[in-house]
Amino acid sequence: MRRIATAERPDWRDKAAACGFGFHTIDDAPYWDESAYYAFSLREIEDDLEAPTEELHTMALDMVDRIVDSEQHMQQLAIPEPYRDWIAQSWRERQPHLYGRMDFAYDGTGPAKLYELNYDTPTSLFEAAFFQWQWLEDQLARGQLPAGSDQFNAIYETLVEAFGTIARGIARPFHFAAVRDSMEDQGTVDYLRDCALQAGIECGALAIEDIGVSEDGRFTDLDDNIIGCLFKLYPLEDMFRESFGAHLPRSGLQLIEPPWKALLSNKGILPLLWEAHRGHPNLLPAEFDNGGALPRGWVRKPLHSREGANVAMHLDDGCELHTDGPYDDGPCIRQACHALTRFDGHYPLIGSWVVGDRACGIGIREDSSLITRDTARFVPHVIVEEARGVLMA
Amino acid sequence: MKRSKTAALLLMSAAPLLLTACDSESPAREGLYTSVEACVAQTNDSNTCQLAFAKAEKEAVATAPRFANREACEADYGKEKCAERSDGASHSFFGPLMTGFFLSQMLSRNGAPMNGFNSGPAFRDSNGGWQRPAAAGASGGVYRGGSRTAMVPISATPNRAVTTSRSGFGSAGHSRGFGG
Repeated sequence: MRRIATAERPDWRDKAAACGFGFHTIDDAPYWDESAYYAFSLREIEDDLEAPTEELHTMALDMVDRIVDSEQHMQQLAIPEPYRDWIAQSWRERQPHLYGRMDFAYDGTGPAKLYELNYDTPTSLFEAAFFQWQWLEDQLARGQLPAGSDQFNAIYETLVEAFGTIARGIARPFHFAAVRDSMEDQGTVDYLRDCALQAGIECGALAIEDIGVSEDGRFTDLDDNIIGCLFKLYPLEDMFRESFGAHLPRSGLQLIEPPWKALLSNKGILPLLWEAHRGHPNLLPAEFDNGGALPRGWVRKPLHSREGANVAMHLDDGCELHTDGPYDDGPCIRQACHALTRFDGHYPLIGSWVVGDRACGIGIREDSSLITRDTARFVPHVIVEEARGVLMA
Repeated sequence: MKRSKTAALLLMSAAPLLLTACDSESPAREGLYTSVEACVAQTNDSNTCQLAFAKAEKEAVATAPRFANREACEADYGKEKCAERSDGASHSFFGPLMTGFFLSQMLSRNGAPMNGFNSGPAFRDSNGGWQRPAAAGASGGVYRGGSRTAMVPISATPNRAVTTSRSGFGSAGHSRGFGG
């Protein structure tokens, strides 16, 4: 794994505009960054990222099966009591799910270490599945990359296939919803909706804020149609807290991601996984936080923080880092500190995509800090052939 | 190869095929009709209705569910609603008769139908519910089933209810969204 500086495509902003990629620059700061790329060998991709992703995904789903039968685990994950049976039922019915993203610390040496599962509202999907793919094709055509360069990125094909697979299990009408004023979230649901359409699924869109509720507690769209299935790019735990949340269990509304994802998009899954698979090479030691002082070599993360918010890090050398954020009032976990490796002054975090239970691609975001926040930039990657003859001696 | 062979866009492309398929500002017009006459009465577009019916009729045999015998077919679709078919290679089977067809058209921003349409056969099961082959209606038809096409229900009369309240979700919203 190497970081290689390269020339940008002169017309990439036009290309972004042509495909509706409006959030390549956010608040005047670059988000899409093609002034460099990461190069991997095929072995690194297949053995160190793809295979562990599939294995960890299976371990995570097995863990869901245990959690739904355990009040104690539900408690540890801070699942509100009124939602527990509903969540458990959604798992027993195996309500269909679509996608998730695992975040790994990985630098080409040693096993990738799982930081967390983003299994409820993962973003950076369009840029990974489409724009990164287009970048590779363009740069190959321009001769900017070694001939035969590839990319671990079957995300698009896997998404269309996964929608096709779950099509019959999706109640209609089917709507995609995200927060109205978030360009990034709107871009992500636009892309998912695009893939659903390509799989032949009729679907609509509405803002999360526009969802209505009827007198008998069913959810409606702006035309007063009862929503059959809602893809919501909005955290389940926030829905639970908000005024319509209480209607969810009896509304008959199907959700994607389904309610059982609340058990995985929760950092409490990390200590439970560690407990069940202690010493697994891709897991970091983790435990539920007792509120005491954070010892050296540990990181504290809230169960529900997103975008690296409210994370505290106590490095081995005694150095302490922390980020602010809105998630300062809930329970936390501790995870053994395994710092990201620095490449040319940047700290890359690997997002490994799971679509329909299959590991199908990666996207890399790099930050200037050890904690990857919403200021991180998306940097593309390639798979290059390993130098021949190295092993001949 | 570890990457997708293509990465097509429908909705997000600047040169869209079906740009507005899901856009509530530019809705699609969809209908389920039991005859060409009913279609014309609704759409006032005789030419499209006839083409849509012809296409549906042509696809009906190939995409209808297949049963080994008449009894099995009638159990799902009702008495005298099934016919014997052959796939041309001397394999015969039974399938439901087409009882209607659906037609969907994209509407432009001024509400007029745009060129092109999608149509396909519809079948009515013994409970009175309408259904159509799952792959029909696919834009481009990338994911087609085999001979036993999966059937999906058509909601011919949308389920509606008076909304008493909105904005009960989204209060945690902030401009940067929720991705991780």
